[in-house]
Amino acid sequence: MAAVSATCIRFGTSVELPVRANNQIIGKSSSLVSFGWGKTGGFPCIRTSRLQICAAKPETVEKVSDIVRKQLALSPETQLTPQTKFTELGADSLDTVEIVMGLEEEFDISVEEENSENITTIQEAADLIDKLVDKKA
Amino acid sequence: MALKLNAINFQSPKCPSFALPPVASLRSPKFFMASTLRSGSKEVETVKKPFGPPREVHIQVTHSMPPQKIEIFKSMEDWAETNILVHLKPVEKCWQPQDFLPDPASDGFQDQIKELRERAKEIPDDYFVVLVGDMITEEALPTYQTMLNTLDGVRDETGASPTSWAIWNRAWTAEENRHGDLLNKYLYLCGRVDMKQIEKTIQYLIGSGMDPRTENNPYLGFIYTSFQERATFISHGNTARLARDHGDLKLAQICGTIASDEKRHETAYTKIVEKLFEIDPDGTVLAFADMMRKKISMPAHLMYDGRDDNLFDHFSAVAQRLGVYTAKDYADILEHLVGRWKVENLTGLSAEGQKAQDYVCGLASRIRRLEERAQGRAKQAPRVRFSWIYDREVQL
Repeated sequence: MAAVSATCIRFGTSVELPVRANNQIIGKSSSLVSFGWGKTGGFPCIRTSRLQICAAKPETVEKVSDIVRKQLALSPETQLTPQTKFTELGADSLDTVEIVMGLEEEFDISVEEENSENITTIQEAADLIDKLVDKKA
Repeated sequence: MALKLNAINFQSPKCPSFALPPVASLRSPKFFMASTLRSGSKEVETVKKPFGPPREVHIQVTHSMPPQKIEIFKSMEDWAETNILVHLKPVEKCWQPQDFLPDPASDGFQDQIKELRERAKEIPDDYFVVLVGDMITEEALPTYQTMLNTLDGVRDETGASPTSWAIWNRAWTAEENRHGDLLNKYLYLCGRVDMKQIEKTIQYLIGSGMDPRTENNPYLGFIYTSFQERATFISHGNTARLARDHGDLKLAQICGTIASDEKRHETAYTKIVEKLFEIDPDGTVLAFADMMRKKISMPAHLMYDGRDDNLFDHFSAVAQRLGVYTAKDYADILEHLVGRWKVENLTGLSAEGQKAQDYVCGLASRIRRLEERAQGRAKQAPRVRFSWIYDREVQL
């Protein structure tokens, strides 16, 4: 269950956050790919009462994995865990956007910009998808 | 870790500095126009005043071409003399800015200026924003001459080196120099724009320089310039067309003349890369894929006017909306170059080379698909003030 709470923590810089370097604001940051030192903070899932609902349905995770496999042309032997970052699988920023587009098509949802930047792993994608699908229902 | 850091592209936030919702985004056309890269930078910085011009944030890689390949360019010098220098125009045959501007020695000088200003009055602000952005780009020529002279094997070692490559670098610079001069004088005379703000922007831009990520590597360098010359040809061609639509035939001639220079330069640079594909297909296709993965960044992406932290994004958004230079153009240029260099037909490539070939050949359609989606979802963009036009507002 540690995996569940981990997935509720969204990494990625908020678009509005000023970025400082040497005490000087050089601009605002928005990372395409949440990776390493680019993060300036984590945003814990505030909806504590929904902590359990943060875990996506296994079928969703499965479908997402298929889409990722196809987009990145992964060999069948490649191990995919829900926590694997797309970048670790060799995805560049173009791949990530296309993965999100593929998910939109597969699940008939629309992913807002702010959310799409937070999709860096299969788990994060699946969580967001279930949330959006539930909202539609 | 360093390797992975190089691979990260941070996209600039597409919010105007006064925090309106994002204008462009991952899925918007601007994604591929690799604009200002800004983020918390790990690079060592000297203490600067706040709110200064943007800085390149990727780690700057140097001399990535293996030194033995410098020989290739030495051995190409005779070929370059016969095949590349021929695309330069002798100075005596060249147009000069004065050919397109009111003649100070003539009695009709002041009337000519008056007419120029009458015509300019009919041209809308958004067009001028784009023309100014283009002019500022041209005026940052010192940066581009510098960039050519960073390339191993083809640089001008002394400033007056007699090698074909050095002759090309200097003569190319000399031809380009007229572009900025002409546009500068036109904009000065037209009375529609704030010259001081524009001049400030130019000073900032030359001070900022640019790193197109060509890594002192002439393979990367000439692929970059091939792409850029075609991009400027398209862009100036479009400003020419729009000027004509607005009834200013003289301005149309100005832009069209500049465009034809760019076309000639494109021909030269693409010929060099064609030769490189002949000599070293594997190395060249790898270089092509590398530049496309890193995205071709626009020369003026670090532009700053002392007021707008997202100046380049705003300028590009207007250029996109007016159809002067768009994401579709980016994809078209890529597709053109893939065809021009017959990348699909390359054989005898290494495994890495084939991957690069596949990537490059498939990329244009991926970009187009993304662009279609983005256009379908495009929300109403905000209006933004540009200091170049006295803080008047323009629709992004």
